[in-house]
Amino acid sequence: MAIVAERYTGASIRRSEDPRILTGAGRYVDDVKLPGMLHAAFVRSPLAHAQVRSIDVSAARDLPGVVAVFTGAEIEDMTVPGPDPLVAFFGDTGPTPEFTLLATDKVRLVGDPVAIVVAESRYLAEDGCDLVEVEYDELAPVASAAAALDPASPPLFANLGSNIAREHPRAEFGDVAAAFAQADRVFDFHIDVHRHQNVPMEGRGCVASYDPQTAVMTFYAATQGVHVTKMGIVMRLGIEPDKVHVLAGDIGGSFGLKIGVSREELAAAAASRAVARPVKWTEDRGENLTASGQAREESFDVRAAVSNDGDLLGLDVRMVVDTGSYPSMGAMLAGIVQAMLPGPYKLAAMGFEATAVTTNKAPYVAYRGPWASETFVRERVLDLIAHELGLDPVEIRRRNIAPRTEPPAVMVTGRPLVGVTTMESLERVAELADFPAFRRRQAAARIEGRHLGIGVATFIEAAPGPRSQDGPSDPEGMEAMRLRLDGDGVVVLFTGQMPHGQSHQTTLAQIAADEFGVPFDQVRVVVGDSDLVPFGLTGGSRFATMTGGVALHGTRQLKAKVLDFASHLMEVSAQDLQITDGNIWVRGDPESAIAVTEIARQAASGDFGPGVDANLEVEAAYDGGAGGWSGGTHCAIVEVDVETGLVSVERYIVTEDCGALINPAVVEGQIRGGVAQGIGAVLLERSAYDEFGNFQSATFMDYLMPTACDIPRIEIEHLETVPLDADVNFRGVGEGGMIVAPPTIVNAIEDALSPFGVRIYEQHLPPARILELISMARRAS
Amino acid sequence: MKLPQFDYQAPQTIAEAIELLAKYEDDASVLAGGQSLIPLLALRLARPAVLIDINGVSDLAGLSLAHGQVTIGTLTREYRAEESDVVADRLPLLAAALPLIGHAAIRSRGTVGGSLAHGDPAAELPAVALALDATFVVRGATGERIIKAPDWFEGYLTTARRPDELLIEVRFPAAGPGTGASFVEVARRHGDFAIVGLATSLTLADGRISDARLALAGVSDVPVRAAEAEDVLIGEQPSAALFGEAARRATAGLDPPADLHGSADYRTKIAATLIRRGLRGAADNASERQANG
Amino acid sequence: MVDITLTVNGAIRTGSAEARKTLADYLRDDLELTGTHVGCEHGVCGACTVIVDGLPVRSCLMLAVQAAGSEVTTIEGLAPDGGLGPLQQAMWDSHSFQCGFCTPGFVMQATALLSHHPDADEQQIREALSGNICRCTGYQSIIDGVLLAARRLRQPAGQGE
Repeated sequence: MAIVAERYTGASIRRSEDPRILTGAGRYVDDVKLPGMLHAAFVRSPLAHAQVRSIDVSAARDLPGVVAVFTGAEIEDMTVPGPDPLVAFFGDTGPTPEFTLLATDKVRLVGDPVAIVVAESRYLAEDGCDLVEVEYDELAPVASAAAALDPASPPLFANLGSNIAREHPRAEFGDVAAAFAQADRVFDFHIDVHRHQNVPMEGRGCVASYDPQTAVMTFYAATQGVHVTKMGIVMRLGIEPDKVHVLAGDIGGSFGLKIGVSREELAAAAASRAVARPVKWTEDRGENLTASGQAREESFDVRAAVSNDGDLLGLDVRMVVDTGSYPSMGAMLAGIVQAMLPGPYKLAAMGFEATAVTTNKAPYVAYRGPWASETFVRERVLDLIAHELGLDPVEIRRRNIAPRTEPPAVMVTGRPLVGVTTMESLERVAELADFPAFRRRQAAARIEGRHLGIGVATFIEAAPGPRSQDGPSDPEGMEAMRLRLDGDGVVVLFTGQMPHGQSHQTTLAQIAADEFGVPFDQVRVVVGDSDLVPFGLTGGSRFATMTGGVALHGTRQLKAKVLDFASHLMEVSAQDLQITDGNIWVRGDPESAIAVTEIARQAASGDFGPGVDANLEVEAAYDGGAGGWSGGTHCAIVEVDVETGLVSVERYIVTEDCGALINPAVVEGQIRGGVAQGIGAVLLERSAYDEFGNFQSATFMDYLMPTACDIPRIEIEHLETVPLDADVNFRGVGEGGMIVAPPTIVNAIEDALSPFGVRIYEQHLPPARILELISMARRAS
Repeated sequence: MKLPQFDYQAPQTIAEAIELLAKYEDDASVLAGGQSLIPLLALRLARPAVLIDINGVSDLAGLSLAHGQVTIGTLTREYRAEESDVVADRLPLLAAALPLIGHAAIRSRGTVGGSLAHGDPAAELPAVALALDATFVVRGATGERIIKAPDWFEGYLTTARRPDELLIEVRFPAAGPGTGASFVEVARRHGDFAIVGLATSLTLADGRISDARLALAGVSDVPVRAAEAEDVLIGEQPSAALFGEAARRATAGLDPPADLHGSADYRTKIAATLIRRGLRGAADNASERQANG
Repeated sequence: MVDITLTVNGAIRTGSAEARKTLADYLRDDLELTGTHVGCEHGVCGACTVIVDGLPVRSCLMLAVQAAGSEVTTIEGLAPDGGLGPLQQAMWDSHSFQCGFCTPGFVMQATALLSHHPDADEQQIREALSGNICRCTGYQSIIDGVLLAARRLRQPAGQGE
């Protein structure tokens, strides 16, 4: 099944991951089975907020098949106190709530783990959980941001003194006062973004295997980066780094959830060390929905200064984010929302401030485009203003998008819009959707009582972002890679990226095969072993530029080294050698060809004395080169059944610019998957809590994800307008679909409902809510 | 999310099954297709001491037409009913409802009797049985009882079956060529439980409605017959105005439950919409069936 | 413990399990056929779909003991020699999947669909696969894979696409 192409980069090469995935030979963490392995389950709080009065695990310990039960207090004695490893990794510097790995004195959400039961099977572990008796003293639940902002609300964390997790002080960019003073119109909007969540098809999980003989912790993880997981184990289990070995195989999706190591995984690792046997924890769907983490749930008060012509002169925005219970990344969100809020627009003045609050809900985790609400708010506000001024949604964007200029326009928050093609993508999407024809069809349909609507929205994504003066393009820093030519002639790339669906093993091999001059199958990409791969993390759409770039430059380095070695063997200057189709030959002399495999074999077998470096291995690092933005414009056509509130997406068009494509099918898969999540968020998905903090969406009967009947064909056109770098013009594309699909869909729904005068200030629009909005608009008019 | 411990019994005959039920009564759950019970077990919301698996009782499966009624054995898989010519010809309402039950892999295992014995008020089959005045045959140690549909559904997931009884079969009156049907529902997604569903069967004679049967799912703790709507329809010619009036009448007194997917007000509104649409669909189906003889 | 004998991917397998063990867990833990994935354990996501006696079944909604005497096909049994069957090949060619976790369920459900409805059109395929959840792809690539397989299966070899 060899894959051969003239040039791999830029072609939809079939994925090397697929033969194993399509035959059931993938190895996910729950497939790991070790001799003597035990299974863990957690006793979890049924209450949102309560003091733990007592915990009795004796009956569980007595159950045959149960090997050990550890309470939160016992786990605390077995581990090292400290901050959440991920929060520490991100370098957050705010006030740190004090809490334990498993709950000890207090539970802070429904599903908070209070004890771990380790047994011969997961069935028995759950039986053991049923026998653990916990007595709680209920506390008043803090079930909403409004409740958290009330100074009288009982603080989740005593050491913080209130439920304000973080104040992001007001910042002004440009002359905000002047912008509002010169405005013809000033609008005030309150916009809500609802809570929803990642829900990878594989939940979290691990197999922790502590060997008391060697004192090595081998940890099989489902993670976005083995070294980040390792850091957490080192930190919280107090094991020396050289005694922690983290391995990861195939990973069943993540979308931001599996960065680092969770409280439950650390408890499983501690349990393994205590019982000196491997312990598997596989998060089940109930745990995943209830306690793994959730995202979004921000509300925004927006003032917009606008000219009568539709120029957006200034924005003044106040955000409140409900970060849930335990600290993850919610408190860090404000900075990036602020930075991205101007988007690709000329906006010249902006004020921004934010408050992050803690509530008795699941922690706020990264979910595909964690800052996405900035796009929702901006693109919603633009349409609301367009309605007020009688402008077309394309026209108001055309007026406000910063056109491509030299030097490029600069976002009011600071970053230059280098190579941003939003205007081109908007014009192209308008053409593809054929707005005039749609408006005619819409009018005809309305006469028949059918309600069609069209919506557009634009976004940019810092993937990695434009080069800054003082460091790498990507905020997470340089990307490293180790590369070597193995003795069998295979070019091996060791990357700290941890693919979980993104096809990295394929796309890196494409780049390396082209750069080195070997067939695709002669490249191997090694991931998921902390003893082998350099530091890295899959996330933030950093892969394409940062890892694609380090693969390209690293392969170039390796190739130079191989040619240098070959030049000694072939007794010609390295400058005269080239590699094509897996053969090294002297330029102009096809007869001279020697297979790369042969050179590799010789390098591995021989001693060539001083002056000949036969160690065909290099370490490479890449700073992102010129970097750049991804972005584009999406357009949806929807039909709303105004008698049932059901929305169907009839057509969805994407014009997107992520620079040069490594593998178009992979890029399109990323876009479509993101769009599907965005459609799901608007029409189906909500992590719902009641007023007492009881979680309402703990099964797949209540947390509804889109199916094959809910997502239309998604038409994609790529713009590859502006090369910024001599070599590396691939840019990340993982998050954009999820970022921009929600406003695209909501804008289309509002357009469909325009005969009723409906205005929409929220992101989640299930059928019942659609009918409410129609009723409210009817009553108001 | 693992099933709790239980004693497992797999009778091979109806008599054995009834004997076990008499022995364990409330401590036992009957496992038919398992598509509702096993999730409840996995979530540990159901914790029977004994599980009586009737899948080995071959006498309980079967589908036959005799004396103007279609008899469906309790263990008849939903996919079998879906493929049945008898159902297609003589139970157009059931034929319309079956494809809406979950997804193909659910109907591979799910049984007609299991769904009716489970009695979920939002499910399709209870509404069908109520609309058609199906009769339920149960058998226990003390003998057999025949229960009419209105008496069968007693409350949320509660039926007239006593703990020591087994649902043997369900009998549906067969439809003639003048009878058409529709099953319409509003669900969040294809294959989901309906927020509200409507089973409609209409019989047309000389262009007028001679029999009308409507039952709503998802508007109460049991399926609900829309008797007020039926009264309006009888003797009239099908028309949008008539169907609108039927919808008004049928929903005037509804007091549906609220959940994550829809408020009481929402359910009432879509019930009215479904009645208009369901009646139109059933009337069209009746004309078609009449034309096809 | 209950004794269980069943045929899996053409081979007779004998063992025993607790009555409460689901078929999914039995396949994965006892028979070490980890290609079948468990995504929700309450019968909604479809990841654990296998074929039992010719029909698609959610193996988390069936007890292992209930499969005694049955013929079960899992994803490992679709192409006996470790290669790819026609549907798997078409899905590879179509870039159908990303993370691969939902894959076995889709492949088994689509296998069952094509065996019963080789002429299924796009809408029928979408409906038939709507009980399987994929979080990565937006479905289009999966649908395209099934359509491609159906087209190839309808055309004798050598007659092109």
